[in-house]
Amino acid sequence: MEGRGMKTLGTRRYTILVFLLFILPAVVTIVYAFYIPFVMNIFYAFTQWNGIQKQPSFNGLDNFKEIVREDNRFGASAIFTLKFGVLYIVIVNALSLLLAVLLDKKLLTRNALRAAFYLPNILSLVIVGFTWKFIFTLGFDFLGGATHLKVFDLSWLGDRHLAFYSILFVSIWQSIGFYTVIYIAGLQSIPGDILEAATIDGASPWTRFLRVTFPMLMPSVTSCFFFSLISSVRLFDVIVSLTGGGPGRATASVTYDIYTEAFSNNRYGYATAKTLIFFVVILAISIVQVRAFKGREVEV
Amino acid sequence: MRARRGAGMIVLECALVLAALLFLYPIVLIFINSLKPISEIMGSFFSLPRRFALENFSTAWKVINYPRLFLNNLVITVAGTAGIIAVSSLAAYKLSRTKSRYSWALFIFCVMPMIVPFQTTMITLLKLAKTLRLSDSIFGLAAQYWGFGAPFAIFLYHGFVKTIPRELDESAIIDGAGPLTAFAQIIFPLLKSVTSTIIVVDVMWIWNDFLLPLIMVNSSKSTRTLTLAVYSFFGQYNTSWQYAIAALVLTIIPAIVYFLVMQKYIVKGVTAGAVKA
Repeated sequence: MEGRGMKTLGTRRYTILVFLLFILPAVVTIVYAFYIPFVMNIFYAFTQWNGIQKQPSFNGLDNFKEIVREDNRFGASAIFTLKFGVLYIVIVNALSLLLAVLLDKKLLTRNALRAAFYLPNILSLVIVGFTWKFIFTLGFDFLGGATHLKVFDLSWLGDRHLAFYSILFVSIWQSIGFYTVIYIAGLQSIPGDILEAATIDGASPWTRFLRVTFPMLMPSVTSCFFFSLISSVRLFDVIVSLTGGGPGRATASVTYDIYTEAFSNNRYGYATAKTLIFFVVILAISIVQVRAFKGREVEV
Repeated sequence: MRARRGAGMIVLECALVLAALLFLYPIVLIFINSLKPISEIMGSFFSLPRRFALENFSTAWKVINYPRLFLNNLVITVAGTAGIIAVSSLAAYKLSRTKSRYSWALFIFCVMPMIVPFQTTMITLLKLAKTLRLSDSIFGLAAQYWGFGAPFAIFLYHGFVKTIPRELDESAIIDGAGPLTAFAQIIFPLLKSVTSTIIVVDVMWIWNDFLLPLIMVNSSKSTRTLTLAVYSFFGQYNTSWQYAIAALVLTIIPAIVYFLVMQKYIVKGVTAGAVKA
């Protein structure tokens, strides 16, 4: 009884204390993982810093000037990432939507099929990259010798154009199951009677898909676009394991460029300037995407 | 009409089964070839092994110190996920129950980092981790995952707590339970569905993660993760494919076992996590 009395007496202070007790662990870890490095990043972007020296030297806008005027690599990696992103988002969404429509039908092996297409998604992208490196190198070598087909003699990892498509292909192979699962969930949430009504009204299967299914699938489309956008701008692991950014620097993505700038070239200050530009661009894209999809969703 | 439809379904089913087998064939090829001596891999890539080269596995096992690294992965994943759940459920519960401007602002503050790619802050994070002596350590790495996983977990918990009637925890507190006890005994068990989503998503993420371990714990062989070991294996033994793919298979197996056991929860968890975000 006494305890409760004390609580009411010092209520306000007690409430604040409890509030802090509950939220501080999370706030501290998030501040550590994101906010402090983020603020440090803004500071280091205007310095020259090799990662070892204690005091980075302030050099104003020099890093940014160099990026814009002299750094062809950063521009090339931005174009590479953009090209990859557009193709990846379009292809992976189209294929996984198609697969979801097929796997939503009443098939005997439906569950096994869904599991099969999902499986690569549980493997790390680095592991997936090495798996395909093995196939592209030794497997294609063998096939080339056995069949004399030109496809297998091409250098799928050594040619700059082909290497791009290899990376695209492997990324899609690894993640298609993830998007398929989301689209299947979306398809299942569409009430059957709406589709039935459309059929009774004489709509063909194609019209039914375009006019009924697809609009009602918009929440899933939004999620899948969001996730495919995120994973395409973060593209890193597949490149490390499959091509190492090569041949030359032909398959270096923005994140790969930032990574090597910092950890191979030891130009930490310069690399943080790149991350700052990267951040601003991501922020802009996210805002545009949210605006574009807002209000397109159909409520049931 | 019905018969034709049935035939169509059978054709579709066969085509999809074939496509699925082709889809998974690369993984099958890795498994088959990991059991062959290098001469057979080169000479007959698609055949089954004539002689089982188990020495591929014993070599890979020893070189990457498999038991040790498996334990590393396990510790990082379990400690990382458990920490995310602890800090996030506590914070999300309180933020959701407290109705004020500050509480809302704090919620936004907590979930905002979700949209920012890790690569944006990794360089200065490494400096910070070195200063606080969190790098080069398994537990240090696990603790760092708390802050990276918390935004998404808080987001999911926050939405779910709203659906739990306030009367439940209020009556427990009136009955004399402390706020922590009320949370642990009344609220936390009700958050089960969100907790399982977070477990499924975060276990896969942390177990497979590459970039954070690469910059934090790659300097010493004893603190590496399985993925890092395979990565350095492929760098070092570029021509010894037979050992490299045996190491690859050793890291694929735990993931596939986890998938087969947890399949139902994985699909449910991934869907729940994705649709809410």
